[in-house]
Amino acid sequence: MDEREKSGLEEATERRSKTSLPAETTVTFEGSEPGTCRGSAQTHPKIGVYFCGPNPLLWQTAEVKAARNTGVVGTLVGSLARQPRQNNRLGRPLELLQEEARLLRETGDAELLRVSTGADAANPQEVERYHDQLEQSYIEQKSLALQDRKATLLRALTQKQEEEGESVDQSIRDRLEALERGFCLPRSAMAVQLSTARAGLGYGPEERHFLAADWPQPRDERSETRFRVFRDLTRRGYYLTTAGKFGGDYLVYPADPLRFHAHFIAVCIPLDKPMPLCELLALSRLGANVKKTILLCSPSGDDEEGEEEEEVVYTSLKWSGMV
Amino acid sequence: MADASQTRKDVDLGFCSELLSPSELFAARSRSHKIPVRGQKDFIPDGSKQQQERLERSLEEQWTLLSEERVERLGNLVKAVWIPKEGVVELQSPAGKFWQTMGFSENGKQFLLPEEALYLMECGNVQVFYHELPLSIQEGYERFLSRDTLSLQQYQVFGHLKRLGYVVTRFDPSSRIPSQYEQQLNLPQVSDRPGRRLKRKRSLSPASSQTDGQEGQVGEKMEVEQCQMEDQKPDSTPEPVCTHSRVEEEEKKEEEEVEGPAVRDPAEMETTADCRSWWVEKKADPELRSMPCSGPRWDFHSIPFPDLGCRGRPPSLAPPDPALLPGLLSVGRCDVAPWLRELNKRKEHLSHRERERLRDRARYRRDVNEDREVRRCRNWADYRQLLEKRSQCRHRDRPAHLWEGKVTPLVQPGQYTSYGDLMNRTGVIQPLNLLEAVSRLGQGSEEFNIRYNVYQPDTVADYKKTSPGKPYSRMCVCSFDSPVPDLRTLKLLACQSGDVPVTFAVVDHGDISFYSFKSFQLPTDLPH
Repeated sequence: MDEREKSGLEEATERRSKTSLPAETTVTFEGSEPGTCRGSAQTHPKIGVYFCGPNPLLWQTAEVKAARNTGVVGTLVGSLARQPRQNNRLGRPLELLQEEARLLRETGDAELLRVSTGADAANPQEVERYHDQLEQSYIEQKSLALQDRKATLLRALTQKQEEEGESVDQSIRDRLEALERGFCLPRSAMAVQLSTARAGLGYGPEERHFLAADWPQPRDERSETRFRVFRDLTRRGYYLTTAGKFGGDYLVYPADPLRFHAHFIAVCIPLDKPMPLCELLALSRLGANVKKTILLCSPSGDDEEGEEEEEVVYTSLKWSGMV
Repeated sequence: MADASQTRKDVDLGFCSELLSPSELFAARSRSHKIPVRGQKDFIPDGSKQQQERLERSLEEQWTLLSEERVERLGNLVKAVWIPKEGVVELQSPAGKFWQTMGFSENGKQFLLPEEALYLMECGNVQVFYHELPLSIQEGYERFLSRDTLSLQQYQVFGHLKRLGYVVTRFDPSSRIPSQYEQQLNLPQVSDRPGRRLKRKRSLSPASSQTDGQEGQVGEKMEVEQCQMEDQKPDSTPEPVCTHSRVEEEEKKEEEEVEGPAVRDPAEMETTADCRSWWVEKKADPELRSMPCSGPRWDFHSIPFPDLGCRGRPPSLAPPDPALLPGLLSVGRCDVAPWLRELNKRKEHLSHRERERLRDRARYRRDVNEDREVRRCRNWADYRQLLEKRSQCRHRDRPAHLWEGKVTPLVQPGQYTSYGDLMNRTGVIQPLNLLEAVSRLGQGSEEFNIRYNVYQPDTVADYKKTSPGKPYSRMCVCSFDSPVPDLRTLKLLACQSGDVPVTFAVVDHGDISFYSFKSFQLPTDLPH
């Protein structure tokens, strides 16, 4: 794969092929096609994509994992539980692109849900259950704490016994009993979990079977174009994330973004849209600066959902030297 | 519904439920707090085992970090309650260290804004309850982030900046930025905290009893100048008055000038109290300095002032709109006639110096009829010729053929002394500062508005919620889908922000980049 060349005349290589991307940029795993290392999550229960306003979010770790297995990467946008006050590594929720949510729904791996946060009444049964749970947790933690303290005390005393060389088993037993009698775990020392995802039953009803007509954002030409490009590239085994900072639509990774750099910046353009030359120049300059190839993607074919005959035409822009 | 939720629960448990057992909770005390460092990325996947292993290890690390749940000591958590009607979170146990930079008090209770509450929930400092059940982070996102409160993108920017350590507060567009002159005067700043309801409920009594004594003298002088009532002497202790704004005080004064004598005393006492207290009060009400055209303030285009000087004036004035009057004041019709008689009653007593000045002016004023040359003129034509001759003499250095035509010289000889001024004069396009000429631009666009004030992290120690000072920058939140802000938007935002730079936080599905526009002056090359 060519890296950046020295500056010179730029030459846009156009290769319109039906099935594959330009030859030098095809990457395959040795011995396996990119698509096969992904499994469909069909065997597992469906992923629940919850909408927060118009934004689709994933909350449970298992769901994030399952989505990654189908090739959907997303972006983590919440604080990390271990260290919430830093920005290098973020935690759940995972924010999905509109195209990712749509793809997951089309393949049947996920269902889109929206919880109505209207005025809901208090649920006294739930409250009681919560308090019972808390109480039980407190009792268990207290006994665990006691055991822990006893073990520590025993260890300390035995060590002392070894040092002093006397046999004071009786005193040890007395000490342990005294500890047990006088031990108390203050309520404020109890450990409590702050759940990330909705734990167990929620308050209100969930609207399942979210209809397409209820899709939060209007389906216009641009989002259609983007979605078709997204679907095609994902089917070929690439991983896609957003590329707003790079001036494009998607960053295309040959394998998991966790370990590999992106190879392409995908820019989605309708096939019949005229593109001014200065825009092409700007894009290729951009690609040269960040050492990535610009990929112009245009879905061709009709508007109907003929997915099998669907084809997307790819054009790459490469900075090359003077011939 | 029960079935659906039941299956959902089973599904949850089957999908490895994230509820921790008490033993796990107990064991969480000794969890590591370190985050493993990510290694270098590779460029091409070559299918080697090494790469595969590294990938698996990274993924495992990722899942471990992600699946960790927040576990906190119950004593460290501040209890709070979500109030959806007002869109705020009320604290029920005393606030912790975060109170220094976040939250606001009202009616003796402590409140947090939804974004602050959600951020603190994510940090594990606050546990928010709703209907007596604790909210999970997911529920927090779904309930606190709505169209009425704030969007997910705005919250992401807020969280990003808070995690870096900045102090982030909401920007209040109706609070006026103090002008440079006001800043020079160093008037005491009062920041309006987001308790909007406070302003309406709170009845100000600016003249508190302890400051009355000193203000006595000052107030009297003010009163004589401003109120123009000759025989009125204020009481030494006027009662404190409810006011809404200084502008209203001025209004009331002018209205009171034409109000009937019956209501003169209480109204005027209010005026004097206002006069005196406005000038010397310690705590400036932020509304006192508000511009008339911003927000829910007075619109003087719709409030008419009676014109008593016109000929067809009515003999009596209708009472003003009760909305313009404070509190329980009620005013009847006002008979204008006695007031008109009062006008211009006072004889003008000129001082000795002023009389002399008038005399000197009159001394050198010449009657045109005493001019000998004018006497020589026999008719109007002669007189006009004389005038023309005189003007020609005066304008000898401005020859008529140059200066009286359609195209005149740009510069008069001797007018400019420096090249810089001359260049400015000959320039076709004048350089304009970003903050100039904003008034005629009208309203801004909907999508670009200033959202947050951002203060630097190292000022946290001195940060006071009541007087936060000048922010480091002001933040606008937008996305890559929205167009690039045009010059008009930039000018309006810069004007709204005063001398604090405006930064645009562009949110791209969780990825945030910051951009700002700086004005630039083209250097001119001038010989010295």
